[in-house]
Amino acid sequence: MSSSSDLDRQIEQLKRCEPLKESEVKALCLKAMEILVEESNVQRVDAPVTICGDIHGQFYDMKELFKVGGDCPKTNYLFLGDFVDRGFYSVETFLLLLALKVRYPDRITLIRGNHESRQITQVYGFYDECLRKYGSVNVWRYCTDIFDYLSLSALIENKIFSVHGGLSPAISTLDQIRTIDRKQEVPHDGAMCDLLWSDPEDIVDNWGLSPRGAGYLFGGSVVTSFNHSNNIDYICRAHQLVMEGYKWMFNNQIVTVWSAPNYCYRCGNVAAILELDGNLNKQFRVFEAAPQESRGTPAKKPAPDYFL
Amino acid sequence: MELEVDENDLKAAGAELFAEGGRRGIRINGWLIETRRHSILNSSTFQEWEQKLDTSHLPEMVFGENTLILKHLSSGTNIHFNAFDALRGWKQEALPPVEVPAAAKWKFRSKPSQQVILDYDYTFTTPYCGSGTIEIDKDLNEGETSKETSDIHWEDCKDQIDVVALASKEPILFYDEVVLYEDELADNGVSLLTIKVRVMPSSWFLLLRFWLRVDGVLIRLRETRMHCVFGGSTNPIILRESCWRESTFQALSAKGHPFDSGAYGDPSFISQKLPIIMHKTQKLVISS
Repeated sequence: MSSSSDLDRQIEQLKRCEPLKESEVKALCLKAMEILVEESNVQRVDAPVTICGDIHGQFYDMKELFKVGGDCPKTNYLFLGDFVDRGFYSVETFLLLLALKVRYPDRITLIRGNHESRQITQVYGFYDECLRKYGSVNVWRYCTDIFDYLSLSALIENKIFSVHGGLSPAISTLDQIRTIDRKQEVPHDGAMCDLLWSDPEDIVDNWGLSPRGAGYLFGGSVVTSFNHSNNIDYICRAHQLVMEGYKWMFNNQIVTVWSAPNYCYRCGNVAAILELDGNLNKQFRVFEAAPQESRGTPAKKPAPDYFL
Repeated sequence: MELEVDENDLKAAGAELFAEGGRRGIRINGWLIETRRHSILNSSTFQEWEQKLDTSHLPEMVFGENTLILKHLSSGTNIHFNAFDALRGWKQEALPPVEVPAAAKWKFRSKPSQQVILDYDYTFTTPYCGSGTIEIDKDLNEGETSKETSDIHWEDCKDQIDVVALASKEPILFYDEVVLYEDELADNGVSLLTIKVRVMPSSWFLLLRFWLRVDGVLIRLRETRMHCVFGGSTNPIILRESCWRESTFQALSAKGHPFDSGAYGDPSFISQKLPIIMHKTQKLVISS
């Protein structure tokens, strides 16, 4: 069992982008599991709260996010998943968020993204990063076990519904989300899959199927119906890169928030977080990538590439 | 992304580097070779491009201002690479969509009569192998000049790019890699179009590569290489070699290669494992 002072030291260490020892990760994950198991699939969140989209392992850019939004626990946070993969620092990113969750369980809420998955992390970076930084896959196993305990969605003051991906044709009420058995690997189809994978689509009015042959697309009518049935003002989701950091669709019934600036370290996009005050007044705080000097390692000079 | 270049090598080659704003490049042997790198398109320009290309979808990350330009100064020959022309090629080819592995399950849960099924080629595969123009300053009667543009003409040939010469470790005076577009296929793989260029004292060489991985289904590579040996007084000749390779995961697995998508992160590593489905060489003779 970690004491508060152990946790505080770990948090300070992680804030310096220094990973924890494997044994500390194991203990942290066990503690996190005890907290997360008690959360609902539709986790209740009080305002004021600041909502954050995808981070994708961009640790120094997440630090920039905390500069803009304020430190936890003074600022109450809701992160909409996709903490890992693609960026260079998924380990430090996820462990810092998890440590903050354990230390301040009522001041930070983490819900699951489609990348919080064993199958996805083996392809898109987190697995390889854990192997490289720890020399074994144990940390990856501890973390992916925790992924199964993350909530599927959040409800802010009963008025704003938050989810990583979007809606599902199998779900018309919040109670249907509450009945899902979430403690599993993200399935390839079904309601739980849809919540983490689906996308809004302008040229579809009801439901559509992606050209990949899998993956739902939902239109304005679906959102209108869902919001009306559940007495919701709007949906806040993440999952898709938006160049300006946030994007409203369907007459402001749904907004995408994206929080990874200069995505993949080359897109040059800005990022955003959504601040809701005690009366649910909205303010988007837009921010840029962390400057080069605040990143730990200097920019690599590319070796001459004798490509053929 | 500044390559460390030996000043002595530059002097010996009579070359000059420049960099300003998002542009950087080199002047060497009558060529001006330049790259430009910027951010992905913003929303309003993105919509503009969707209209111009008559499509409802583009890759998530379109680097609309990124380009590589190779200009032969005395002839006005201009070879360049950009995302718009590449996407125009994608739109024209219009391959049928590739199904992901989970599609089999989804057939049973979908109700086709109730929903729209999108059918554009989400892999953004393009046959694009570069754009080219010749700009000639034409003298008009009053001493004014106007630019006249005509297309360059590539002719089929049996020559091959001199890989042995390119493999020798001649000093690289200029190097860059530019992304033209990328899409994550909604976390089902990767589609990426990049251009790499390197300039040595004796020649320039570039590789335009389209790289597709649909996880668990398909790997596709379309590569275009161009090589131009600096010829002193003779007219330059550019060789262009296009090579398309493709394989299903199933076929790779049958040959003993891994089935796991995580093993296929680097196209350079897997390139030789993929069978060639198209290969041709062309040349461009530049007349001054």
